[in-house]
Amino acid sequence: MRPVGRVLVANRGEIALRIIRACHEEGLEAVAVYSSVDRGAQHVAQADAAVAIGGAPAAESYLVIDRLIAAARSSGAELIHPGYGFLAERAEFADAVAAAGLGYVGPPASAIRAMGNKTEARRWMAEAGVPVVPGSDGPVHDPAEAQRVAQRIGYPVMVKAVAGGGGKGMRVVAGPEELAGALQAAASEAEKAFGDSSVYLEKFIERPRHVEIQILADEHRTIHLGERECSVQRRHQKLVEEAPSVAVSPELRAAMGKAAVAGALAVGYRGAGTCEFLLAADGSFYFLEMNTRIQVEHTVTEMVYGVDLVREQLRIARGQPMSVPSGPLAPHGWSIECRITSEDPSNEMLPSTGTVRYLRTPGGPGVRWDGAIQVGDEITLYYDSLLGKLIVWAPDREAALGRMRRALDELIVVGVATNQGFYRRLFQDEAFCRGDIDIQFLDRRQDLLAGVHDESLIVTVAVAAALAEDQARRSRAPTVGADGWRARKAWLQAARHEALR
Amino acid sequence: MKYFVTIDDRELEVTVEGDRVTVDGTVVRAELTAVPGTPLKQLTIDGKTLHWPMERAPDGGGGGRWVVAPLGESWDVEVLDERARHIRRLTGSGQRKSGENVLKAPMPGLVVRVEVEPGQAVVAGQGIVVLEAMKMENELRASAAATVAAVRVVPGATVEKGEVLVEYSLGPGA
Repeated sequence: MRPVGRVLVANRGEIALRIIRACHEEGLEAVAVYSSVDRGAQHVAQADAAVAIGGAPAAESYLVIDRLIAAARSSGAELIHPGYGFLAERAEFADAVAAAGLGYVGPPASAIRAMGNKTEARRWMAEAGVPVVPGSDGPVHDPAEAQRVAQRIGYPVMVKAVAGGGGKGMRVVAGPEELAGALQAAASEAEKAFGDSSVYLEKFIERPRHVEIQILADEHRTIHLGERECSVQRRHQKLVEEAPSVAVSPELRAAMGKAAVAGALAVGYRGAGTCEFLLAADGSFYFLEMNTRIQVEHTVTEMVYGVDLVREQLRIARGQPMSVPSGPLAPHGWSIECRITSEDPSNEMLPSTGTVRYLRTPGGPGVRWDGAIQVGDEITLYYDSLLGKLIVWAPDREAALGRMRRALDELIVVGVATNQGFYRRLFQDEAFCRGDIDIQFLDRRQDLLAGVHDESLIVTVAVAAALAEDQARRSRAPTVGADGWRARKAWLQAARHEALR
Repeated sequence: MKYFVTIDDRELEVTVEGDRVTVDGTVVRAELTAVPGTPLKQLTIDGKTLHWPMERAPDGGGGGRWVVAPLGESWDVEVLDERARHIRRLTGSGQRKSGENVLKAPMPGLVVRVEVEPGQAVVAGQGIVVLEAMKMENELRASAAATVAAVRVVPGATVEKGEVLVEYSLGPGA
């Protein structure tokens, strides 16, 4: 059967490849876009066509709406899939796509707008009967106003970017003396990340879990596909996601799902979306925000519900009904995802750059690798640090934990430091393995983040290094090289040192 | 050949005689070969075979320093023979632990803000420079009380990993 249409994938990295794969399985052609440094990237090579869209900084390529529209036109694409990040939650982009006579794989611009502005989103949700966290009910304009709001809702409070997401423009404030600094930092980060410096305040709930509900909506039905727990976070960036959650009973799932569906209906939602909630220890939950796009962690929902969310997005965008059967749905088994990033545990988890020189991805039963890196790829500072997502599925959580341990041991990345060692420690941690987690888990457990050597390996490492040195010496010509010269010089220094005593 | 292997401030004595390797008195059978076309080495130790990323340290300055990276964690290892170790002991070279009175960029990035001025006293934990990389702002803090002697960067500057951002003079008010 000949492909009936083309989809422009307005993204890069693993999600671009994920969408291209879904297009091909749906019988659609995929058009990639690339910045000057992504010419050789895997998403470009896997697509049916590719269009150059500008320079390495995202502001000169992946964020330039006109170039993406022009790329879709010149390549004959009828649909544009935004992926996540970049333009995925910018209503102007959805508007521009529609104005160009193209289809947008995502919700209507009005829904993006309603949920993209977080204060407006809270109002929508409160009206739909969804519980929300107490807060400033709008942006705060100056430190004095912020102080008044913070006094009213009580410390600790959270400063958040109105246009925010992904942890950018967010700060937790423990007391009044920290408020002014946090406002400034959050506003400056928000300005840079989203071009909008306005921030708002909300009550900071101690030790809640982050539990989110996956939504899928077509012309006829709006359904939920259960929860994902994403409590293991660092600086508000998710590091581990699982489905289902140890903290969610079938009754709670139904209640949270119902709230999320009500919220989606209130804004006329279409396609795949996610309602994020804080889940308190007593089972009460509060709406955080709705992400009007595919999530990084959509994979774990796919594994336990047997649904391909990206293919469903494409079906819905083409006006077809979703293929998910109607009637009651329940998660089957357990799935966990680790985000393998180029963050260096031995350097305070700061980003690491370099060229990928070797890659061995895990495999075998129940293991899925959603990544786009390949040998030769340069990991730069231009884009986010996600190298790939390691996902496992098993019949229960215990088995999934064991499978992830096994898969983590199989992964090898050479050329750039990664957080693989952190995950190996985390999946040995008793509290984590019990599911005793909340969004401050890693704040308390900095020990898991620091690069710590596995003591049981020390002898083996010593043997390996001694053998390597021994071989290197044997293969080296016995003439005086740089080392010999340095050693002789050191002998001389030592002799002088002794003589001067 | 006898070697002294230093890992994380621990020293192990390793003697290599063909495939017979003695580590602090314990004998193991071990063999190391290259894995062709990769930066990996194949280590066989007492019948167990491992494929580990392993290379000379890039800034090793000659012999002895290796980076072994099993299971995603990187180990800096120094291998010295008896003579080189003796020289180390006599000259004290290689002990580079004394505190550096500078703030270096821990990663490449863009300087967003400089939060101190020359002459300013700072306390441990105080924010010094904000560096942006991969779209996140990272505040670099003072590790100890000090006085800022010089600021070597300006906002907007792009810096490389290891570049000196700020110099301190010792202690507050020095």
